[in-house]
Amino acid sequence: MLEILLNHYPVLLEGLATTLVVSLSAIALGLVLGVLLAFGLTSRHGLVRWPCGLYRSFWRGTPILLQLLLVYYLLPEVGIEIAPISAAILTLTLNTAAFQSEIFRSGISHIPAGQIEAARMAGISSWQTRRRIIMPQVFRLTLPPLTNEIITILKNSSLISVIAVTELMRVSEQIASRTFQPLETYLAAALLYLAVNLVLALLSAHLERRMTGGLATD
Amino acid sequence: MPMADTLSPSSPPRQKSIVEAHGISKQFGDLEVLTDIDFSLAPSEVVCVIGPSGSGKSTLLRCLAFLEPYDHGSVYIDGQLLGYEDRNGKRVRTSEKRVDDVRAPVGMVFQHFHLWPHRTALENVTEALRLVNGLSRQEADTEGMAMLEQVGLSDRAGHFPESLSGGQKQRVAIARALAMKPRVMFFDEPTSALDPELVGEVLDVMKKLAADGMTMVIVTHEMGFAANVANRVIFMDQGRVVESGPPATLFRQPKSERLQQFLNTWRERNID
Ligand SMILES: Nc1ncnc2c1ncn2[C@@H]1O[C@H](COP(=O)(O)OP(=O)(O)O)[C@@H](O)[C@H]1O
Ligand SMILES: [Mg+2]
Repeated sequence: MLEILLNHYPVLLEGLATTLVVSLSAIALGLVLGVLLAFGLTSRHGLVRWPCGLYRSFWRGTPILLQLLLVYYLLPEVGIEIAPISAAILTLTLNTAAFQSEIFRSGISHIPAGQIEAARMAGISSWQTRRRIIMPQVFRLTLPPLTNEIITILKNSSLISVIAVTELMRVSEQIASRTFQPLETYLAAALLYLAVNLVLALLSAHLERRMTGGLATD
Repeated sequence: MPMADTLSPSSPPRQKSIVEAHGISKQFGDLEVLTDIDFSLAPSEVVCVIGPSGSGKSTLLRCLAFLEPYDHGSVYIDGQLLGYEDRNGKRVRTSEKRVDDVRAPVGMVFQHFHLWPHRTALENVTEALRLVNGLSRQEADTEGMAMLEQVGLSDRAGHFPESLSGGQKQRVAIARALAMKPRVMFFDEPTSALDPELVGEVLDVMKKLAADGMTMVIVTHEMGFAANVANRVIFMDQGRVVESGPPATLFRQPKSERLQQFLNTWRERNID
Protein backbone atom coordinates (compact mmCIF):
# COMPACT_ATOMS: atom_id res chain seq x y z
CA MET A 1 0.00 0.00 0.00
CA LEU A 2 2.82 2.37 0.92
CA GLU A 3 4.41 1.45 -2.34
CA ILE A 4 1.29 2.51 -4.23
CA LEU A 5 1.24 5.78 -2.32
CA LEU A 6 4.90 6.41 -3.03
CA ASN A 7 4.80 5.44 -6.68
CA HIS A 8 1.56 7.10 -7.61
CA TYR A 9 1.26 10.02 -5.23
CA PRO A 10 1.21 12.73 -7.93
CA VAL A 11 -1.94 11.34 -9.59
CA LEU A 12 -3.48 10.33 -6.29
CA LEU A 13 -3.01 13.83 -4.92
CA GLU A 14 -4.40 15.29 -8.11
CA GLY A 15 -7.44 13.07 -7.71
CA LEU A 16 -7.72 14.10 -4.08
CA ALA A 17 -7.48 17.76 -5.11
CA THR A 18 -10.39 17.30 -7.52
CA THR A 19 -12.37 15.52 -4.80
CA LEU A 20 -11.73 18.43 -2.45
CA VAL A 21 -12.53 21.10 -5.01
CA VAL A 22 -15.80 19.45 -5.99
CA SER A 23 -16.88 18.63 -2.43
CA LEU A 24 -15.91 21.91 -0.84
CA SER A 25 -17.47 23.98 -3.64
CA ALA A 26 -20.67 21.97 -3.34
CA ILE A 27 -20.67 22.36 0.44
CA ALA A 28 -20.12 26.12 0.29
CA LEU A 29 -22.70 26.71 -2.46
CA GLY A 30 -25.04 24.23 -0.79
CA LEU A 31 -24.74 26.15 2.45
CA VAL A 32 -25.96 29.36 0.84
CA LEU A 33 -28.81 27.57 -0.91
CA GLY A 34 -29.52 25.48 2.19
CA VAL A 35 -29.88 28.57 4.39
CA LEU A 36 -32.24 30.20 1.89
CA LEU A 37 -34.28 26.99 1.66
CA ALA A 38 -34.44 26.79 5.44
CA PHE A 39 -35.88 30.32 5.50
CA GLY A 40 -38.40 29.10 2.93
CA LEU A 41 -39.23 26.02 4.99
CA THR A 42 -39.87 28.18 8.06
CA SER A 43 -41.78 30.87 6.19
CA ARG A 44 -45.22 31.95 7.37
CA HIS A 45 -46.47 31.69 3.81
CA GLY A 46 -47.57 28.30 2.53
CA LEU A 47 -46.81 29.38 -1.02
CA VAL A 48 -43.17 29.75 -0.08
CA ARG A 49 -43.08 26.77 2.24
CA TRP A 50 -44.44 24.00 0.09
CA PRO A 51 -42.19 24.34 -2.99
CA CYS A 52 -39.22 24.31 -0.64
CA GLY A 53 -40.61 21.18 1.00
CA LEU A 54 -41.06 19.57 -2.39
CA TYR A 55 -37.49 20.37 -3.34
CA ARG A 56 -36.22 18.92 -0.10
CA SER A 57 -38.24 15.73 -0.55
CA PHE A 58 -36.94 15.17 -4.08
CA TRP A 59 -33.26 15.64 -3.33
CA ARG A 60 -33.36 13.72 -0.06
CA GLY A 61 -35.57 10.99 -1.45
CA THR A 62 -33.70 9.89 -4.56
CA PRO A 63 -30.27 8.21 -4.83
CA ILE A 64 -27.42 10.57 -5.45
CA LEU A 65 -26.13 8.39 -8.28
CA LEU A 66 -29.43 8.86 -10.07
CA GLN A 67 -29.31 12.60 -9.44
CA LEU A 68 -25.85 12.79 -10.99
CA LEU A 69 -26.93 10.95 -14.10
CA LEU A 70 -30.12 12.99 -14.38
CA VAL A 71 -28.28 16.31 -14.20
CA TYR A 72 -25.55 15.07 -16.52
CA TYR A 73 -27.95 13.89 -19.22
CA LEU A 74 -30.72 16.41 -18.68
CA LEU A 75 -28.73 19.59 -19.10
CA PRO A 76 -27.58 18.88 -22.69
CA GLU A 77 -31.19 17.98 -23.52
CA VAL A 78 -32.26 21.51 -22.63
CA GLY A 79 -29.32 22.97 -24.50
CA ILE A 80 -26.92 23.56 -21.66
CA GLU A 81 -23.45 22.23 -22.31
CA ILE A 82 -21.47 21.91 -19.13
CA ALA A 83 -18.28 20.14 -18.20
CA PRO A 84 -18.60 16.94 -16.17
CA ILE A 85 -16.90 18.55 -13.21
CA SER A 86 -19.43 21.42 -13.24
CA ALA A 87 -22.29 18.95 -13.51
CA ALA A 88 -20.80 17.13 -10.52
CA ILE A 89 -20.51 20.30 -8.44
CA LEU A 90 -24.04 21.32 -9.43
CA THR A 91 -25.54 17.98 -8.46
CA LEU A 92 -23.75 17.74 -5.15
CA THR A 93 -24.72 21.35 -4.40
CA LEU A 94 -28.40 20.71 -5.09
CA ASN A 95 -28.21 17.52 -3.06
CA THR A 96 -26.44 18.87 0.00
CA ALA A 97 -28.62 22.01 -0.05
CA ALA A 98 -31.62 19.79 0.65
CA PHE A 99 -29.91 18.05 3.55
CA GLN A 100 -28.45 21.27 4.92
CA SER A 101 -31.81 23.04 4.67
CA GLU A 102 -33.32 20.40 6.94
CA ILE A 103 -30.44 20.77 9.40
CA PHE A 104 -30.89 24.55 9.46
CA ARG A 105 -34.68 24.31 9.62
CA SER A 106 -34.40 22.17 12.71
CA GLY A 107 -31.84 24.59 14.19
CA ILE A 108 -34.07 27.59 13.50
CA SER A 109 -37.02 25.87 15.17
CA HIS A 110 -34.93 25.58 18.34
CA ILE A 111 -34.50 29.35 18.71
CA PRO A 112 -37.11 30.47 21.26
CA ALA A 113 -39.84 32.56 19.62
CA GLY A 114 -39.45 35.15 22.38
CA GLN A 115 -35.96 36.05 21.18
CA ILE A 116 -37.39 36.86 17.78
CA GLU A 117 -40.25 38.85 19.31
CA ALA A 118 -37.73 40.81 21.36
CA ALA A 119 -35.91 41.66 18.12
CA ARG A 120 -39.15 42.69 16.42
CA MET A 121 -40.05 44.91 19.36
CA ALA A 122 -36.64 46.58 19.12
CA GLY A 123 -37.49 47.44 15.52
CA ILE A 124 -35.01 44.98 14.00
CA SER A 125 -36.32 43.83 10.62
CA SER A 126 -37.02 40.16 10.08
CA TRP A 127 -34.16 39.90 7.60
CA GLN A 128 -31.71 41.44 10.08
CA THR A 129 -33.15 39.21 12.79
CA ARG A 130 -32.32 36.16 10.70
CA ARG A 131 -28.83 37.40 9.96
CA ARG A 132 -27.83 38.70 13.37
CA ILE A 133 -29.97 36.88 15.93
CA ILE A 134 -31.07 33.55 14.49
CA MET A 135 -28.35 32.26 12.16
CA PRO A 136 -25.32 32.89 14.40
CA GLN A 137 -26.98 30.68 16.99
CA VAL A 138 -28.14 28.15 14.42
CA PHE A 139 -24.63 27.68 13.05
CA ARG A 140 -23.39 26.89 16.55
CA LEU A 141 -26.28 24.56 17.31
CA THR A 142 -25.96 22.69 14.05
CA LEU A 143 -22.20 22.35 13.83
CA PRO A 144 -22.20 18.60 14.63
CA PRO A 145 -24.85 17.58 12.06
CA LEU A 146 -23.31 20.01 9.59
CA THR A 147 -19.92 18.32 10.02
CA ASN A 148 -21.60 14.98 9.35
CA GLU A 149 -23.10 16.35 6.17
CA ILE A 150 -19.74 17.67 4.98
CA ILE A 151 -18.18 14.26 5.56
CA THR A 152 -21.08 12.60 3.75
CA ILE A 153 -20.63 14.84 0.73
CA LEU A 154 -16.90 14.13 0.67
CA LYS A 155 -17.62 10.43 0.61
CA ASN A 156 -20.48 10.75 -1.87
CA SER A 157 -18.20 12.67 -4.21
CA SER A 158 -16.65 9.30 -5.02
CA LEU A 159 -19.80 8.65 -7.07
CA ILE A 160 -19.05 11.40 -9.55
CA SER A 161 -16.54 9.11 -11.23
CA VAL A 162 -19.57 7.72 -13.11
CA ILE A 163 -19.78 10.90 -15.12
CA ALA A 164 -16.06 10.71 -15.90
CA VAL A 165 -14.67 13.19 -13.42
CA THR A 166 -11.18 12.05 -12.47
CA GLU A 167 -11.35 12.48 -8.74
CA LEU A 168 -9.73 10.29 -6.13
CA MET A 169 -11.98 7.29 -6.70
CA ARG A 170 -11.53 7.24 -10.45
CA VAL A 171 -7.79 7.75 -10.17
CA SER A 172 -7.65 4.77 -7.81
CA GLU A 173 -9.58 2.62 -10.28
CA GLN A 174 -7.13 3.56 -13.01
CA ILE A 175 -4.12 2.76 -10.85
CA ALA A 176 -5.69 -0.49 -9.70
CA SER A 177 -6.23 -1.69 -13.24
CA ARG A 178 -2.76 -0.69 -14.31
CA THR A 179 -0.85 -2.15 -11.38
CA PHE A 180 -3.06 -5.20 -10.79
CA GLN A 181 -2.95 -4.29 -7.08
CA PRO A 182 -6.57 -3.32 -6.41
CA LEU A 183 -6.52 -4.05 -2.68
CA GLU A 184 -3.43 -1.96 -1.98
CA THR A 185 -4.68 0.84 -4.19
CA TYR A 186 -8.12 1.05 -2.62
CA LEU A 187 -6.62 0.90 0.86
CA ALA A 188 -4.40 3.83 -0.06
CA ALA A 189 -7.46 5.73 -1.31
CA ALA A 190 -9.35 4.90 1.88
CA LEU A 191 -6.44 6.26 3.87
CA LEU A 192 -6.61 9.55 1.99
CA TYR A 193 -10.40 9.89 2.50
CA LEU A 194 -9.94 9.11 6.18
CA ALA A 195 -7.16 11.64 6.56
CA VAL A 196 -9.27 14.44 5.08
CA ASN A 197 -12.29 13.55 7.19
CA LEU A 198 -10.16 13.36 10.30
CA VAL A 199 -8.90 16.88 9.66
CA LEU A 200 -12.50 18.04 9.15
CA ALA A 201 -13.69 16.40 12.33
CA LEU A 202 -10.84 17.92 14.34
CA LEU A 203 -11.53 21.34 12.84
CA SER A 204 -15.19 21.05 13.75
CA ALA A 205 -14.44 19.92 17.31
CA HIS A 206 -12.07 22.84 17.68
CA LEU A 207 -14.67 25.29 16.41
CA GLU A 208 -17.29 23.84 18.71
CA ARG A 209 -15.06 24.26 21.75
CA ARG A 210 -14.30 27.84 20.80
CA MET A 211 -17.95 28.72 20.35
CA THR A 212 -19.40 27.47 23.62
CA GLY A 213 -19.52 30.98 25.11
CA GLY A 214 -23.01 32.39 25.19
CA LEU A 215 -25.12 29.51 24.04
CA ALA A 216 -27.83 28.98 26.58
CA THR A 217 -31.23 28.83 24.96
CA ASP A 218 -33.00 31.12 27.36
CA MET B 1 -60.47 32.75 12.33
CA PRO B 2 -62.97 35.59 12.19
CA MET B 3 -62.23 38.18 9.54
CA ALA B 4 -60.96 41.45 10.84
CA ASP B 5 -63.84 43.84 10.43
CA THR B 6 -63.79 47.28 8.92
CA LEU B 7 -62.09 50.14 10.64
CA SER B 8 -63.67 51.08 13.88
CA PRO B 9 -66.38 53.62 13.25
CA SER B 10 -65.27 55.60 16.26
CA SER B 11 -63.73 58.96 15.50
CA PRO B 12 -59.94 59.14 15.32
CA PRO B 13 -58.53 58.80 18.81
CA ARG B 14 -58.40 61.82 21.01
CA GLN B 15 -54.86 63.01 20.93
CA LYS B 16 -52.98 62.88 24.18
CA SER B 17 -53.27 59.10 24.64
CA ILE B 18 -50.14 57.25 23.66
CA VAL B 19 -51.94 53.95 23.37
CA GLU B 20 -55.60 53.63 22.67
CA ALA B 21 -57.66 50.55 21.95
CA HIS B 22 -61.31 50.35 20.95
CA GLY B 23 -63.33 47.18 21.22
CA ILE B 24 -60.51 44.76 20.56
CA SER B 25 -61.19 41.07 20.65
CA LYS B 26 -59.07 38.03 19.96
CA GLN B 27 -59.76 34.37 19.44
CA PHE B 28 -57.42 31.40 19.38
CA GLY B 29 -59.38 28.88 17.34
CA ASP B 30 -62.72 28.61 19.11
CA LEU B 31 -61.42 30.11 22.31
CA GLU B 32 -62.37 33.74 22.79
CA VAL B 33 -59.47 35.16 24.77
CA LEU B 34 -60.25 38.88 24.62
CA THR B 35 -63.74 40.32 24.37
CA ASP B 36 -64.45 43.91 23.42
CA ILE B 37 -61.66 45.63 25.32
CA ASP B 38 -61.33 49.39 25.48
CA PHE B 39 -58.11 50.83 26.77
CA SER B 40 -56.33 54.12 26.79
CA LEU B 41 -53.11 55.30 28.26
CA ALA B 42 -52.15 58.91 28.89
CA PRO B 43 -48.55 60.14 28.92
CA SER B 44 -46.71 59.30 32.14
CA GLU B 45 -49.53 57.09 33.28
CA VAL B 46 -48.65 53.81 34.97
CA VAL B 47 -51.28 51.12 34.58
CA CYS B 48 -51.05 47.73 36.24
CA VAL B 49 -53.05 44.85 34.82
CA ILE B 50 -54.01 42.13 37.29
CA GLY B 51 -56.15 39.06 37.06
CA PRO B 52 -56.10 35.29 37.37
CA SER B 53 -53.87 33.20 35.16
CA GLY B 54 -55.40 32.63 31.75
CA SER B 55 -57.58 35.74 31.92
CA GLY B 56 -55.96 37.24 28.81
CA LYS B 57 -53.49 39.72 30.33
CA SER B 58 -50.55 38.65 28.18
CA THR B 59 -52.72 38.42 25.10
CA LEU B 60 -53.97 41.97 25.70
CA LEU B 61 -50.42 43.29 25.96
CA ARG B 62 -49.35 41.31 22.90
CA CYS B 63 -52.31 42.62 20.89
CA LEU B 64 -51.51 46.19 21.95
CA ALA B 65 -48.00 45.57 20.57
CA PHE B 66 -49.30 43.57 17.59
CA LEU B 67 -47.18 40.57 18.51
CA GLU B 68 -50.57 38.90 18.21
CA PRO B 69 -52.85 40.35 15.55
CA TYR B 70 -56.17 41.30 17.12
CA ASP B 71 -59.29 40.16 15.30
CA HIS B 72 -61.66 43.08 15.79
CA GLY B 73 -61.43 46.64 16.99
CA SER B 74 -58.52 49.02 16.67
CA VAL B 75 -55.30 49.82 18.44
CA TYR B 76 -53.76 53.24 17.99
CA ILE B 77 -50.21 54.12 18.96
CA ASP B 78 -49.67 57.86 19.03
CA GLY B 79 -52.82 58.26 16.97
CA GLN B 80 -51.80 55.77 14.27
CA LEU B 81 -53.70 52.58 13.62
CA LEU B 82 -51.49 49.59 14.38
CA GLY B 83 -51.32 46.54 12.15
CA TYR B 84 -54.17 47.22 9.74
CA GLU B 85 -55.09 49.74 7.13
CA ASP B 86 -58.17 50.53 5.16
CA ARG B 87 -57.87 49.59 1.49
CA ASN B 88 -60.95 50.17 -0.67
CA GLY B 89 -63.18 49.91 2.37
CA LYS B 90 -61.63 46.59 3.34
CA ARG B 91 -59.37 46.11 6.25
CA VAL B 92 -56.01 44.55 5.43
CA ARG B 93 -52.83 43.85 7.33
CA THR B 94 -50.12 46.44 6.86
CA SER B 95 -46.57 45.54 5.94
CA GLU B 96 -44.16 44.40 8.59
CA LYS B 97 -42.22 47.61 8.06
CA ARG B 98 -45.31 49.72 8.74
CA VAL B 99 -45.99 47.74 11.93
CA ASP B 100 -42.42 48.42 13.03
CA ASP B 101 -42.81 52.12 12.32
CA VAL B 102 -46.13 52.53 14.14
CA ARG B 103 -45.03 50.63 17.23
CA ALA B 104 -41.58 52.19 17.36
CA PRO B 105 -42.60 54.16 20.48
CA VAL B 106 -43.32 50.90 22.34
CA GLY B 107 -40.70 48.99 24.31
CA MET B 108 -41.43 45.54 25.68
CA VAL B 109 -40.11 43.45 28.55
CA PHE B 110 -41.01 39.77 28.75
CA GLN B 111 -41.47 37.39 31.64
CA HIS B 112 -38.65 35.17 30.41
CA PHE B 113 -36.30 38.03 29.42
CA HIS B 114 -35.56 36.64 25.95
CA LEU B 115 -32.06 38.03 25.85
CA TRP B 116 -29.99 36.95 22.87
CA PRO B 117 -27.63 34.38 24.39
CA HIS B 118 -24.83 34.81 21.83
CA ARG B 119 -24.53 38.50 22.64
CA THR B 120 -23.03 40.05 25.75
CA ALA B 121 -25.13 42.24 28.02
CA LEU B 122 -23.81 45.34 26.27
CA GLU B 123 -24.33 43.85 22.81
CA ASN B 124 -27.91 42.98 23.71
CA VAL B 125 -28.45 46.66 24.40
CA THR B 126 -26.52 48.01 21.40
CA GLU B 127 -27.74 45.57 18.73
CA ALA B 128 -30.80 47.59 17.71
CA LEU B 129 -28.97 50.88 18.16
CA ARG B 130 -26.61 49.76 15.44
CA LEU B 131 -29.01 47.86 13.18
CA VAL B 132 -32.03 50.14 13.44
CA ASN B 133 -30.65 53.54 14.39
CA GLY B 134 -27.45 53.08 12.41
CA LEU B 135 -25.10 54.17 15.17
CA SER B 136 -21.42 53.33 14.86
CA ARG B 137 -20.05 50.73 17.23
CA GLN B 138 -18.48 53.43 19.36
CA GLU B 139 -21.61 55.58 19.55
CA ALA B 140 -23.73 52.54 20.30
CA ASP B 141 -21.35 51.36 23.04
CA THR B 142 -21.42 54.76 24.73
CA GLU B 143 -25.21 54.83 24.58
CA GLY B 144 -25.44 51.19 25.67
CA MET B 145 -23.18 51.74 28.67
CA ALA B 146 -25.38 54.64 29.75
CA MET B 147 -28.41 52.33 29.59
CA LEU B 148 -26.67 49.60 31.59
CA GLU B 149 -25.67 52.27 34.09
CA GLN B 150 -29.30 53.24 34.44
CA VAL B 151 -30.21 49.69 35.50
CA GLY B 152 -27.10 49.37 37.67
CA LEU B 153 -25.27 46.85 35.51
CA SER B 154 -22.35 48.68 33.92
CA ASP B 155 -20.01 46.21 35.60
CA ARG B 156 -21.66 43.32 33.74
CA ALA B 157 -21.36 44.80 30.25
CA GLY B 158 -19.10 42.06 28.90
CA HIS B 159 -20.97 39.15 30.44
CA PHE B 160 -23.03 36.72 28.42
CA PRO B 161 -26.62 36.22 29.60
CA GLU B 162 -25.86 32.68 30.81
CA SER B 163 -23.60 34.08 33.50
CA LEU B 164 -26.14 36.61 34.81
CA SER B 165 -28.74 36.07 37.52
CA GLY B 166 -32.41 36.27 36.59
CA GLY B 167 -32.71 39.73 38.07
CA GLN B 168 -29.67 40.90 36.13
CA LYS B 169 -31.02 39.40 32.92
CA GLN B 170 -34.30 41.21 33.37
CA ARG B 171 -32.51 44.49 34.02
CA VAL B 172 -30.46 44.01 30.83
CA ALA B 173 -33.75 43.35 29.01
CA ILE B 174 -35.12 46.62 30.40
CA ALA B 175 -31.96 48.45 29.30
CA ARG B 176 -32.29 46.88 25.85
CA ALA B 177 -35.83 48.22 25.53
CA LEU B 178 -34.92 51.65 26.94
CA ALA B 179 -32.08 52.03 24.45
CA MET B 180 -34.60 52.58 21.68
CA LYS B 181 -36.01 55.57 23.58
CA PRO B 182 -39.56 54.26 23.86
CA ARG B 183 -42.37 56.57 24.89
CA VAL B 184 -44.20 53.70 26.53
CA MET B 185 -43.01 50.44 28.07
CA PHE B 186 -45.01 47.20 28.27
CA PHE B 187 -44.03 44.71 30.96
CA ASP B 188 -45.49 41.20 30.96
CA GLU B 189 -45.00 39.75 34.45
CA PRO B 190 -41.41 40.99 34.58
CA THR B 191 -40.72 39.43 37.98
CA SER B 192 -42.72 36.20 37.80
CA ALA B 193 -39.79 34.09 36.62
CA LEU B 194 -37.45 35.40 39.31
CA ASP B 195 -36.36 33.96 42.63
CA PRO B 196 -38.10 35.99 45.36
CA GLU B 197 -34.88 37.64 46.51
CA LEU B 198 -34.27 39.04 43.01
CA VAL B 199 -37.70 40.60 42.53
CA GLY B 200 -36.83 43.78 44.40
CA GLU B 201 -33.95 44.87 42.18
CA VAL B 202 -36.18 44.72 39.09
CA LEU B 203 -39.10 46.49 40.76
CA ASP B 204 -36.71 49.20 41.94
CA VAL B 205 -35.65 49.89 38.36
CA MET B 206 -39.30 50.07 37.33
CA LYS B 207 -40.15 52.43 40.19
CA LYS B 208 -37.35 54.71 39.09
CA LEU B 209 -38.69 54.67 35.55
CA ALA B 210 -42.16 55.56 36.79
CA ALA B 211 -40.74 58.39 38.88
CA ASP B 212 -38.94 59.71 35.80
CA GLY B 213 -42.27 59.93 34.03
CA MET B 214 -42.15 56.82 31.82
CA THR B 215 -45.55 55.68 30.58
CA MET B 216 -45.99 52.03 31.46
CA VAL B 217 -48.39 49.11 31.24
CA ILE B 218 -47.42 46.37 33.65
CA VAL B 219 -48.99 42.96 33.93
CA THR B 220 -48.09 41.83 37.40
CA HIS B 221 -48.93 39.76 40.44
CA GLU B 222 -47.02 42.17 42.69
CA MET B 223 -50.00 43.81 44.41
CA GLY B 224 -47.81 45.89 46.69
CA PHE B 225 -46.02 47.34 43.71
CA ALA B 226 -49.33 47.99 41.93
CA ALA B 227 -50.73 49.71 45.02
CA ASN B 228 -47.71 51.97 45.35
CA VAL B 229 -46.76 52.76 41.78
CA ALA B 230 -49.83 52.45 39.56
CA ASN B 231 -52.07 55.40 38.76
CA ARG B 232 -54.69 52.94 37.64
CA VAL B 233 -55.25 49.22 38.05
CA ILE B 234 -57.18 47.09 35.61
CA PHE B 235 -58.65 43.80 36.75
CA MET B 236 -59.23 41.28 33.99
CA ASP B 237 -61.13 38.02 34.08
CA GLN B 238 -62.10 35.71 31.22
CA GLY B 239 -60.96 38.11 28.56
CA ARG B 240 -62.84 41.14 29.84
CA VAL B 241 -61.97 44.17 31.87
CA VAL B 242 -64.09 43.61 34.95
CA GLU B 243 -63.05 46.63 36.98
CA SER B 244 -60.57 49.45 36.75
CA GLY B 245 -59.68 52.47 38.80
CA PRO B 246 -57.12 53.95 41.16
CA PRO B 247 -55.39 51.23 43.20
CA ALA B 248 -56.71 52.55 46.51
CA THR B 249 -60.31 52.21 45.38
CA LEU B 250 -59.82 48.93 43.59
CA PHE B 251 -57.96 47.18 46.39
CA ARG B 252 -60.01 48.62 49.29
CA GLN B 253 -63.47 48.65 47.77
CA PRO B 254 -63.64 46.01 45.09
CA LYS B 255 -67.09 46.20 43.52
CA SER B 256 -67.27 42.90 41.70
CA GLU B 257 -67.41 39.57 43.39
CA ARG B 258 -64.70 38.22 41.11
CA LEU B 259 -62.22 40.86 42.17
CA GLN B 260 -63.07 40.30 45.83
CA GLN B 261 -62.43 36.60 45.33
CA PHE B 262 -59.21 37.27 43.47
CA LEU B 263 -57.92 39.57 46.22
CA ASN B 264 -58.93 37.12 48.96
CA THR B 265 -57.10 34.28 47.27
CA TRP B 266 -54.07 36.51 46.91
CA ARG B 267 -54.16 37.51 50.60
CA GLU B 268 -54.48 33.90 51.75
CA ARG B 269 -51.49 32.90 49.63
CA ASN B 270 -49.38 35.77 50.84
CA ILE B 271 -50.03 35.56 54.55
CA ASP B 272 -48.59 32.14 55.32
N1 LIG C 1 -50.85 31.27 21.12
C1 LIG C 1 -51.93 30.76 21.74
N2 LIG C 1 -52.65 29.78 21.16
C2 LIG C 1 -53.75 29.28 21.76
N3 LIG C 1 -54.22 29.68 22.94
C3 LIG C 1 -53.55 30.66 23.58
C4 LIG C 1 -52.37 31.24 23.01
N4 LIG C 1 -51.92 32.19 23.87
C5 LIG C 1 -52.77 32.19 24.91
N5 LIG C 1 -53.75 31.27 24.75
C6 LIG C 1 -54.87 31.02 25.68
O1 LIG C 1 -55.50 32.26 25.90
C7 LIG C 1 -55.91 32.38 27.23
C8 LIG C 1 -55.33 33.64 27.83
O2 LIG C 1 -53.93 33.50 27.91
P1 LIG C 1 -52.98 34.66 28.44
O3 LIG C 1 -53.27 35.90 27.69
O4 LIG C 1 -51.61 34.13 28.38
O5 LIG C 1 -53.47 34.82 29.92
P2 LIG C 1 -52.70 35.45 31.18
O6 LIG C 1 -51.53 36.19 30.68
O7 LIG C 1 -53.73 36.31 31.82
O8 LIG C 1 -52.32 34.31 32.05
C9 LIG C 1 -55.47 31.12 27.93
O9 LIG C 1 -56.57 30.25 27.98
C10 LIG C 1 -54.39 30.58 27.03
O10 LIG C 1 -54.35 29.18 27.12
MG1 LIG D 1 -49.49 35.89 31.04
